Amino acid sequence: MANAETALKEATTTIDGALGAALVDYTSGMALGTIGGGKDLDLAVAAAGNTDVVRAKLRTMEMLGLQDEIEDILITLGGQYHLIRLLKSRGTNGLFLYLALDKNRANLAMARHQLRKIEAELEI
Amino acid sequence: MLLRLAEERATGALLRDHGTLYLVEGRIVHAESPVAPGPDVLLTAGGRLARGRIAAGELEICLLGALFDAAFFALAPGGPARFRYGVAPWTGTVRPVSATDVERETLRRRLLLDSVWPYPAVDTAPVVPRPASPGQTVTARQRALLAQADGVRTPAQLAWALGRPAFHTLLDVRRLAAAGLVATPHEPTPYEPAPNETASDPDRDPDRDPAPERAQDQDPDPDPAPARDPDIALLRRLRDALEAHL
Repeated sequence: MANAETALKEATTTIDGALGAALVDYTSGMALGTIGGGKDLDLAVAAAGNTDVVRAKLRTMEMLGLQDEIEDILITLGGQYHLIRLLKSRGTNGLFLYLALDKNRANLAMARHQLRKIEAELEI
Repeated sequence: MLLRLAEERATGALLRDHGTLYLVEGRIVHAESPVAPGPDVLLTAGGRLARGRIAAGELEICLLGALFDAAFFALAPGGPARFRYGVAPWTGTVRPVSATDVERETLRRRLLLDSVWPYPAVDTAPVVPRPASPGQTVTARQRALLAQADGVRTPAQLAWALGRPAFHTLLDVRRLAAAGLVATPHEPTPYEPAPNETASDPDRDPDRDPAPERAQDQDPDPDPAPARDPDIALLRRLRDALEAHL
């Protein structure tokens, strides 16, 4: 049984190339917990900003009439990957895990797999 | 005041008009507000408890969310503030949160509400749904909220009915109001003419009509200089609505 902080710690220690992670409530845009980050990556700002990304995609799916759920969202930058994983079965208040990775050191497939594992630990 | 209490590492309860913050050695361990549903309501009315036991992580997230929700209302500007040293919360507490974090988040939330739709009147008025325009869609969350909006319940009452944090409900209602799916109540504000405006207004005779009653025609306008021309006020609201859709 993991609490939010240990889940985030696990994300940054077990995932290669992790620069920082946040657990974000995407209705309010608040980071419920953050780890890593720093001067170059303000995770509170990233949390609030990526909330708009998630909301825009959810709205688009609504407009398209897609009866499906977002599993994760990948944003590829020149030097980084930003991975957003939406957490399921949390009542009506949506949460997502946000993970910033160093592109040169990260294995994307492995990172996605690890995030899925961390999500499962957070729930059960 | 909160930051000063944090600095002196105070323990006790900070009492405000819209809620109470509990501090232990300057850090916030609990907050409650009559506006914000507590964790018990969030977990039961949301239907979460019925679905089985709660994981430690989920409970922690719920308690933390409830703390920031209650703190948002407890720290509302204006009104008196009293501190009772030594008072402890009667209920279980969450991992302590720094006063700086709570202050910063509360301020961010206040700015967020105004960036979505700068009409605070919608926060406390009964939520009155309006018909959607053709092709306009809402999210599942918003649909559930609109289904409970009977034209009598306020956003806070909807939050309790739905088992959602009160701030989240305010934000949803402001977004719906910006989209035109919830009515924005008319908010007559007393019109105070600027000194230079009074002097340059040829229609007004200061001796006969020192304080003209203009409150009825004023649209709620957040800009410091109220628009004299109703077209400009309309255009501003249109601009705000368009920006809210970006």
